[in-house]
Amino acid sequence: MTAPSIPNAAAAQPPVDWRRLHKITPLLNAWKVAVVLIGVFVWQYADTIGELDLAAGTILLIVVGAVVGGSLIGLGYSALAWRMTRYGIGADSVFLHSGVLFRQQRHVRLDRLQTIDVSQPLLARLFGFAQLKIESAGGAGSNLTLAYLSETDAQNLRNELLARAAGVTVATAADGAPPVLTPAAPEREVLALTPGRLVGSLALSFVMILILIGVVALVVAAVGTHSFAPILGVGPAGLGAVAYFWGRFSGEFAFRVATSPDGIRVRQGLLESKARTIPPGRVQAIKISQPLLWRLKGWWRVQVNIAGYGAEETTGSVLYPAGTAEEVARVLYLVLPDLGDNRPLELLATGMTGTGEDEGFVTSPRRSRWLDWITWRRNGFRVTDTAILLRSGRIWRHFVLVPHERTQSLGLTQGPIERRLDLVNFELHSTPGQIIPSIQHLDAAVARELLVEQADRARRARRLAGPEHWMRARTAPGAGSTTGAQTTPGTFGGILPSPSPDQHFAPGPASAGSVREVHVSPADAGKVSG
Amino acid sequence: MPLGLRCRWLVRSGTMGGMTSNPAFEIDGVQWRPISLRLIPVRQISASIFLGGPALVTIWPAVVVGGWMWLLPVGLLLVTAWVLWLIPRQVRAVGYAELADDLLIRKGVMFRSMAVVPYGRMQYVDVQAGPIARRMKIAQVQLHTASAGSDASIPGLGEDEAARLRDQLTARGEARLAGL
Repeated sequence: MTAPSIPNAAAAQPPVDWRRLHKITPLLNAWKVAVVLIGVFVWQYADTIGELDLAAGTILLIVVGAVVGGSLIGLGYSALAWRMTRYGIGADSVFLHSGVLFRQQRHVRLDRLQTIDVSQPLLARLFGFAQLKIESAGGAGSNLTLAYLSETDAQNLRNELLARAAGVTVATAADGAPPVLTPAAPEREVLALTPGRLVGSLALSFVMILILIGVVALVVAAVGTHSFAPILGVGPAGLGAVAYFWGRFSGEFAFRVATSPDGIRVRQGLLESKARTIPPGRVQAIKISQPLLWRLKGWWRVQVNIAGYGAEETTGSVLYPAGTAEEVARVLYLVLPDLGDNRPLELLATGMTGTGEDEGFVTSPRRSRWLDWITWRRNGFRVTDTAILLRSGRIWRHFVLVPHERTQSLGLTQGPIERRLDLVNFELHSTPGQIIPSIQHLDAAVARELLVEQADRARRARRLAGPEHWMRARTAPGAGSTTGAQTTPGTFGGILPSPSPDQHFAPGPASAGSVREVHVSPADAGKVSG
Repeated sequence: MPLGLRCRWLVRSGTMGGMTSNPAFEIDGVQWRPISLRLIPVRQISASIFLGGPALVTIWPAVVVGGWMWLLPVGLLLVTAWVLWLIPRQVRAVGYAELADDLLIRKGVMFRSMAVVPYGRMQYVDVQAGPIARRMKIAQVQLHTASAGSDASIPGLGEDEAARLRDQLTARGEARLAGL
């Protein structure tokens, strides 16, 4: 759709292809406005109406009037908002102009794109619509959301954006011609979570233990006092627990991880379905953790830090909710194909469950047992060619991996007691998220040396890191490889045969020339202007 | 605890106000630059206002009621005195160093910290000064990276030094800019 009325659109960039959201958007949004209006109405006037001593028919009429009125107002507002909203795809950016009273123009550079989510809330899913969310690294709230599009439009748009972000040239339609669709990158499913595993993981979770303790305490209290008062008293807390479990269950239901040249594709959701795409090189840190009871089954949870999700995001940070050690290795292979060591599986196992100096881990010194009674042999780090691995937690095991090129900054801290024991805590600063990579109570000299060397390693890794356009990086010789190039890539994939997805994915003609572009312009640092 | 360790600790935490006192926070060949001592009165004034003020206010109910009510103003005044004594040591403990590729910042007397921030990771720089600091002609320079965890702020720089550092950091950041 062309929109000649948009000012400056032509001046900013070569032709931007302006489009509108789907016509159904006002209807799907209207009910939200209506619910709010009706809620306010009920809240304010419920008592008044009750006191007025009216006939039942009249009250019914008032309520119906409120519902219809609220819906109409909601529909009107949503329709106006829809008319004022349009989005555009430029050569290397996405634009969104929106807002009724306060106009907003948001502009996201595709080479700064962190993830693309196609999600379908229940209502939209029933009618075959979807929303598209583009995360850039500006922190929580910096995303660009296109809601709603038809399901096929959303998928086509995602494919096109990912192809453009990857540096593959996308064919554009001539004027008047039907739009050329970008084919989806081929997907290969790696793992799928069974409902049984999901239920089991929830049943053995830490919250469940708390609940069991709570229930036992309540029963004891109820029997002791011969009344149900204690049980009624914790009603809200019980509702909270149910809501938590329902959130986990419906959010992680049908969890599937697939790989494609566009990156990792994660699908999940019982009622609201989500399909996230995480392009290569967007994962800032990885955490593999195991609550106490999961040890019975040998399950682990894999989480990641991604710039743009922010610390509040909990569902988006999960890369796999509950996997066996072998499944964890397969998921990890997708994110960090080269662990930078020639015994990757042994290294991984030691990091997940081991203690002591096996596989070159450096642990807290013996004197730190004053502070870490049971964990001092488990606390430890290991530096490989590609990443730093941090191990901690004896009861609740944690294992954090940070690729060298993703380190933002480094820090050391020391409190008064630690100073007496000559111990120092080492921190890696990652983008905001669920993972805060740090290691407690290292020997002071070891920590200082680690700080100096890690700063140097991170710098070298950054210099060698591939450009943001990942498909271009692959065709350019030497690009994208890190210092770990000497170790045979794919050794870690003893489990998983290393596929070469590039073969399936036919890039556009222009990328055949394999131009390596390094996008570094200071103006990009802001990423989002709007 | 081994005796040697205790002796080293006593030496380290002795008279030196933080600078050059702890080997764990020393890096070979790094010359730490101190910050302006004018930060001491600035911090002492604001500490007096925010701690000493309430202490004075609580004297009134103490005079009226008497007895244990005196605990509050006396306690607050003691805390104020301790903070006033601590501030010069804290200020002297702050140091920074501009290396070829990184900015190093260390601070703290009881709880020490050191941060290494690569110029290439810098997203933006803030220079800020409150009313008292402005009168004393000092300002705080703060680097922001994509991580919320990196606390890369240098308080108490002279205005000229703050401006120089800001421009220097921006220039170096542009030269070494990396993605995320």
